[in-house]
Amino acid sequence: MGDSQYSFSLTTFSPSGKLVQIEHALTAVGSGQTSLGIKAANGVVIATEKKLPSILVDETSVQKIQSLTPNIGVVYSGMGPDFRVLVRKSRKQAQQYYRLYKETIPVTQLVRETAAVMQEFTQSGGVRPFGVSLLIAGYDDNGPQLYQVDPSGSYFSWKASAMGKNVSNAKTFLEKRYTEDMELDDAIHTAILTLKEGYEGQISANNIEIGVIRADREFKVLTPAEIKDFLEEVE
Amino acid sequence: MSIFEYNGSAVVAMVGKNCFAIASDRRLGVQLQTVATDFQRVFKIHGKLYIGLSGLASDAQTLYQRLVFKHKLYQLREERDMKPETFASLVSSMLYEKRFGPYFCQPIIAGLGQDDEPFICTMDCIGAKELAKDFVVSGTASESLYGACESMYKPNMEPEELFETISQALLSSVDRDCLSGWGGYVLIVTATEVQERVLKGRMD
Amino acid sequence: MECVIGVVGRDFAVVAADTSAVQSILVHKTDEDKIMLLDSHKLMGASGEPGDRVQFTEFIQKNLHLYQFRNNMPLSTAATANFTRGELATALRKNPYSVNIILAGFDKDAGASMYYIDYIATLHKIDKGAFGYGSYFCLSLMDKLYHPDMTVEEAVDLVDKCIKEIRLRLVVAPQNFAIKIVDKDGARDYARREIGGDSPAAATTAATVATTA
Repeated sequence: MGDSQYSFSLTTFSPSGKLVQIEHALTAVGSGQTSLGIKAANGVVIATEKKLPSILVDETSVQKIQSLTPNIGVVYSGMGPDFRVLVRKSRKQAQQYYRLYKETIPVTQLVRETAAVMQEFTQSGGVRPFGVSLLIAGYDDNGPQLYQVDPSGSYFSWKASAMGKNVSNAKTFLEKRYTEDMELDDAIHTAILTLKEGYEGQISANNIEIGVIRADREFKVLTPAEIKDFLEEVE
Repeated sequence: MSIFEYNGSAVVAMVGKNCFAIASDRRLGVQLQTVATDFQRVFKIHGKLYIGLSGLASDAQTLYQRLVFKHKLYQLREERDMKPETFASLVSSMLYEKRFGPYFCQPIIAGLGQDDEPFICTMDCIGAKELAKDFVVSGTASESLYGACESMYKPNMEPEELFETISQALLSSVDRDCLSGWGGYVLIVTATEVQERVLKGRMD
Repeated sequence: MECVIGVVGRDFAVVAADTSAVQSILVHKTDEDKIMLLDSHKLMGASGEPGDRVQFTEFIQKNLHLYQFRNNMPLSTAATANFTRGELATALRKNPYSVNIILAGFDKDAGASMYYIDYIATLHKIDKGAFGYGSYFCLSLMDKLYHPDMTVEEAVDLVDKCIKEIRLRLVVAPQNFAIKIVDKDGARDYARREIGGDSPAAATTAATVATTA
């Protein structure tokens, strides 16, 4: 209870130097559905499981992977509605950048701007931190890139990362499977295997999502049919 | 009298083979009175990117200061220099931002882009870009500059010849304009070096 | 009409200005100081709309003092010039000040320097310059007679020639001039150039004499 006494203002430090709301946000992320990303030599893949509350939900209406610009995509673990707010802000940022410079926003810049928004929500009054972590995948003049952004607003570039339920298992799995010279198709296989490893139940083309970006710099969310092909290759 | 002609100016840029030149006159006047003969209208943004600002001297200085500010922030944020095309877009949007109370300047932007490809462009005071492959002119001497450049310019000149051409074009043009002149300032920029020269012209 | 003149010499700068306060055809007074001492080593000669001139030069002066209090060192002449320009430039598109300025100063490292700043906020470093109707005569005169490394005597002599020319050729020439100097020892009054009978008392006496006669 000690910590929560100091939760009266969402953006106040506890005596131990923690911002408990951020920790709670991380807990929300930790209990969210698993997402992961792998940076390959010639592209990036991001993937997530898509567990729905009921079999009656039309799974085609749920899109957990979104594109921010034609060459940048994002996936999240945590709270869906918070994610949509961030997507909206990031897309706007990207368009503002383009309007100013007539040049598409570099991945690093968009990541930084998004992270800045998330940070702002840990320090402003009357707001709470975002209950999501993001994996942002993009391809620009600096090659393929994968970033993870956390509710605190901190961000890192990863070769491969995972978040949500089963993080530690997924990360251990990725550490074992990852190689520097991995090709994108390999990476997609690894992504599927990692998801499969932690998935409670049978994975199918309809209950996972995969987004890829290759050297053509077009971020694409794979259709269930395309995912199915990969699933068949894996088995 | 137009406010663009208050101080008097002549700015020109030319493209050569893997290089470009940008030049301006040196007069600072107040209408027909000459106040100084060592005024700067061509400014460095970074080693391979320059901007020449003709028109009202005060706005040229203000605009230059704001551009340097914006470019420095860009450099810190993105850890790289701006490409000429990107910079031109920035200038354009900054000018259009003040659509109904413009800076009375007509900028000329010249730079070396990726693979040291030369880029030149000009725009009006509210940011309408005009790209060119050969040369761009602006200022009170722009009419005579058009004539001079039109007849003296050749494609693919080497730096030395480009310097000679742009200098002659500038000097002969300002001689036909009461409001600009008093020598010239020429920059020749190649991938490896920047040559800066101050010209003496008809100093009257 | 208004005249402000400035000359930079070897290690000093001289600023001269008329001292007339004129409105339309009326001369209100002939001992108006138009050269402000901004701080110990800076002179600001200003011409223009009297209200703006006083308000603006005081504003700059007080800001320099504030800077000195805060930082325990004075602003350099170059920095002052740029600050002044900045203030004029921001004011330009809101409610412009009609003041033209010759700013002269002496810095330990840079030595003596002088700046031209007009009401549209054009800033330029100069070593000789003038504002107002007097400039039409002074600029050419200074082009002819100025040389760098002038001594104080030479520079003041040049300023005197300018004043003489103004008095000779300008229809609306002002009566009196103030000359100030700034060098390593600071900014101070140097001399005044007056043509007699400038005090109201003298004028009254003259009028009395005229009636009795």
